[in-house]
Amino acid sequence: MRRGRADRLRQEDRRRFEELFLPYLDAAYNLARWILQHDQDAQDVVQDAYIRAFKGFHRFRGRNPRAWFLTITRNTAYGWLNRHAAEEKLIPYEEEKHADLILMKEPEHELMSEERKERLQIALERLPLEFREVIVLYELEGLSYKELAATLGIPIGTVMSRLSRARRRLQEGSE
Amino acid sequence: MDCNETKWLLNAYVDGELELTRQLDIEAHLAACAMCKKAAEAAINFSYSVRMNIPVYKAPPELRVTIRAALRKESGSQLEWVSQFWRPLAGTAGIMVLGLAFAWTWIADSHDKDRELIAEAISDHSRSLLVGRLLDVTSSDRHTVKPWVTGKLDYSPPVADLSEAGYGLAGGRIDLLENRPVAAIVYRYQGHFINVFVWPAASHVIDFDVQSHQGYSLCGWSKGGLNYLIISELSQAEIEKFEDQLRDRTE
Repeated sequence: MRRGRADRLRQEDRRRFEELFLPYLDAAYNLARWILQHDQDAQDVVQDAYIRAFKGFHRFRGRNPRAWFLTITRNTAYGWLNRHAAEEKLIPYEEEKHADLILMKEPEHELMSEERKERLQIALERLPLEFREVIVLYELEGLSYKELAATLGIPIGTVMSRLSRARRRLQEGSE
Repeated sequence: MDCNETKWLLNAYVDGELELTRQLDIEAHLAACAMCKKAAEAAINFSYSVRMNIPVYKAPPELRVTIRAALRKESGSQLEWVSQFWRPLAGTAGIMVLGLAFAWTWIADSHDKDRELIAEAISDHSRSLLVGRLLDVTSSDRHTVKPWVTGKLDYSPPVADLSEAGYGLAGGRIDLLENRPVAAIVYRYQGHFINVFVWPAASHVIDFDVQSHQGYSLCGWSKGGLNYLIISELSQAEIEKFEDQLRDRTE
């Protein structure tokens, strides 16, 4: 029995989808990894995001596949966090407590570059999610303000202030 | 523009995200104000330092394979509309209809299977030649390549040393054929790459002569429970020679 025309079209769709979106696998994984802070969870979320994107492929209008796919990845990651928040009772970030830790500066001296690296990384890991993701999307994935606004679902003015607060807190946290 | 306004817009300024007029206003202010200029430089340095020092996580190679398999499964489900319509019934009738539809789906003649496989192999091969996609493990030593691929799979593909015949082992990667992860062993010959796909012949035992499609030569056979499919830009005659060598060394 011959395969149907509908099936062939679906396979063509899939190939087109893969060509368009598989190049953003690393970007999506990096984003999910930073949001969830866990390798296997990030892998699951990215796989889920690909399936969801494929199901919604007909809604993609051909502009900016990267931003479109990162938005889906982010939403999938948030959905995952929400589902697991109920199970694990996520401990809310207590800024005051951490502020103490962060403000206990060591005597100023030239930091070794490895140490500097580690401090930055830890500071980013400790940033509240809304600040962490804006740093990852802007600094690591190179999204523009406009793309950030679309991906995060906030106005450009909010992008500006959020990114600037995120940077300030990251800087304070890594000093 | 004063220091307060500048402070507010400084991040967007160093990111080059302001409209041109604003950008110029700030430049004018920075030229006149040493404090703000210093702050702008610090902002640029910090952003740079973040980019250089924060780890960018790379997806593990097997994730790509898992995702492509999941997408194939997803796009292969011809029954989506059926299940959507019939789910509410959920009774015997629904199950029977689904059963029939499944049976219909799975009856595909082997010729179609071969064609689909060849299309997949061509797509895998051409994709593998894109920058950075050819090799997950790079080594000319089969004692390095074999354990690496075996560790990622549920079977152990033979990795032959064909260097005496002039085929240098380049390495290996995990790729995807017939909805499953397969070993792709890569050889180099006269500046061309040859992909050798090896996977268990369980559901589809292959056997097709050397042929050319879209500028690639390929052939496939089955031996010792494993399917072998080789593909390259080499000529059909060259592929035949390579096939002979490989068959000899995988006795």
